[in-house]
Amino acid sequence: MEDKEKRPIPVMELKGVTKEYCLRDSFFSRGSTCVIAMNNVNLAIQKGEIFGLVGQSGSGKTTTGRLMVKLENPSKGVIKLNGEPLSNIQGKALKSYRSKVQMIFQDPYQSLNPHLSISETILEPLIVNKIGDAHSREQKVINTLDIVGLAPAREYYNRYPHQLSGGQRQRVAIARAIVLDPEFIVADEPTSMLDATIAIQLFKLLKQIRKKYNMAFLFITHNLAAAKYLCDRIAVIHNGVIVETGSTNVVIRYPQHPYTKKLIETHPGFNF
Amino acid sequence: MSQNQHIERFQKGWKIFIKNPLGKTGVTLLLIFMLMAIASFFIPLIDPMYDPMTGIDPLIKTSTGPSMQHFLGTDNVGRDLFAQLMEGAKIAFIVGLSSAFISIVMGTVIGMISGYAGGMTDIILMRMADIIMIMPSLVILLILASLFGQFNIWIIVFIIAIMRWPAVSRIIRSQTLSLKSRPFIEASRVAGASNIRIIFRHIMPNVLPLAFLYMTFRVTSAILVEAALSFLGFGDPSQVSWGMMLQWVWKSGYMFQAPYWMIPPGLCISLLTLSFYMLGRAMDEVLDPRLRKEEEER
Ligand SMILES: Nc1ncnc2c1ncn2[C@@H]1O[C@H](COP(=O)(O)OP(=O)(O)OP(=O)(O)O)[C@@H](O)[C@H]1O
Ligand SMILES: [Mg+2]
Repeated sequence: MEDKEKRPIPVMELKGVTKEYCLRDSFFSRGSTCVIAMNNVNLAIQKGEIFGLVGQSGSGKTTTGRLMVKLENPSKGVIKLNGEPLSNIQGKALKSYRSKVQMIFQDPYQSLNPHLSISETILEPLIVNKIGDAHSREQKVINTLDIVGLAPAREYYNRYPHQLSGGQRQRVAIARAIVLDPEFIVADEPTSMLDATIAIQLFKLLKQIRKKYNMAFLFITHNLAAAKYLCDRIAVIHNGVIVETGSTNVVIRYPQHPYTKKLIETHPGFNF
Repeated sequence: MSQNQHIERFQKGWKIFIKNPLGKTGVTLLLIFMLMAIASFFIPLIDPMYDPMTGIDPLIKTSTGPSMQHFLGTDNVGRDLFAQLMEGAKIAFIVGLSSAFISIVMGTVIGMISGYAGGMTDIILMRMADIIMIMPSLVILLILASLFGQFNIWIIVFIIAIMRWPAVSRIIRSQTLSLKSRPFIEASRVAGASNIRIIFRHIMPNVLPLAFLYMTFRVTSAILVEAALSFLGFGDPSQVSWGMMLQWVWKSGYMFQAPYWMIPPGLCISLLTLSFYMLGRAMDEVLDPRLRKEEEER
């Protein structure tokens, strides 16, 4: 009890979360092989914080993000939003959870439906969560387009994804994620498909959004430089295990775990 | 603005389509048959004698060859064959299009649900599809017709549709499977969209072109099944379809004496199904590069 009063309740918390993917060997044999994508992961992300999750390909970063937005369920362990555990939430509770936790996907060329216009894409979260009326929704979409830097909003409102650049598409994806004013956003390598200059613009945008709305982010990346630029704290993940957590500067300057050291040594062009 | 884009897209597709020799021929043939179907509404107005079903030329007691009065001649009771041929075009369109439409709607909805839901739902629906798919539809129709007597044309349409959705649902299901894990579907789930909404709002527009393509092939098979059924004497006796004309020429014993009676309906069946087939193939070519282009956009 005392402990709780001293420390603020994290927005997003993982406690002993393990995720296994089991695949049947073949059609005829009974056995199955399991991949442990996350192994006993503990994380706590505070309000308004940009928290970096750094690791190599296949280390379990995306899996962590997908569990947080409830695209998948943990095999073991608990996920808590504002201290509330969500084991088997359904129906209304799930919907309310969804409106508080959003995600920005890695590939902006895949995360927008080619048949929906920009406005239809950004309106969807408002419509399915029955927020406002037609007029106020439209206004909200226009404001959000302005915030993510797609101005003048009227010009983008009726466009389709194929009429936008990769960076602009990712701005649309960001707009879709923030339009519900969520408390927490998972950003899964949002710039790995884009040029470095565009990446920096998007990082600045994420910082602005955090400042303006005090939203918390899980920023997933394999790029330490990006993490250093953007994140308050980071966790390093290796083969599904968190090997090190701490404030970004400390972890990068004084890495404790050999894997972190290796990651920093092998990192090319680390001069932000 | 979005309206304009759809129109623009359509115009681009239409240009490719109409340049294609198959598309050109198919459309031309189809237009001719459409004119025939439209003509069927007006012919009986000229003179009740030209009603394809009840109009009997009082002066004629047996089948006669082409004349100025009757362009294609008459059948054995004195009914005008030209009028019957026009009426047959109308029936072919009704049977072909409505049955194809029903089977496409069923196939698309079942395919999307099966692919999206997965698990037991998927297994049950696809087993059902398999069972229906391997049943020979004409034989089934014949058995049903001999059990229950001759069917009304709409029941025939409906039975053909029920027999023909499984192939569509298989195609749509596999398309749905590949769409299901695409990030834009997951993004919609994260936004809180229901399964129904995801299926109809996100998956359906992406599978609709394919469903539409399949519709042209379904039209072909529906027309053929109805013709065969009617020719074998199990059609709707109150409707003048081309298959029914062939049945009459056969039953009245004029099969080999009245080519002016036998050849036109046979030819029309072949040409109309051919034109839908060509249409489908040409559409295939229009849709294909566009699908490829969407892949490139990744
Ligand atoms: N649906 C799945 N079925 C089976 N195994 C999976 C599945 N998703 C992920 N995995 C496995 O889990 C491990 C972690 O995957 P994850 O996608 O989380 O890695 P990542 O850190 O995001 O990698 P990257 O940087 O390449 O995106 C990998 O070994 C992967 O093969
Ligand atoms: Mg990943």
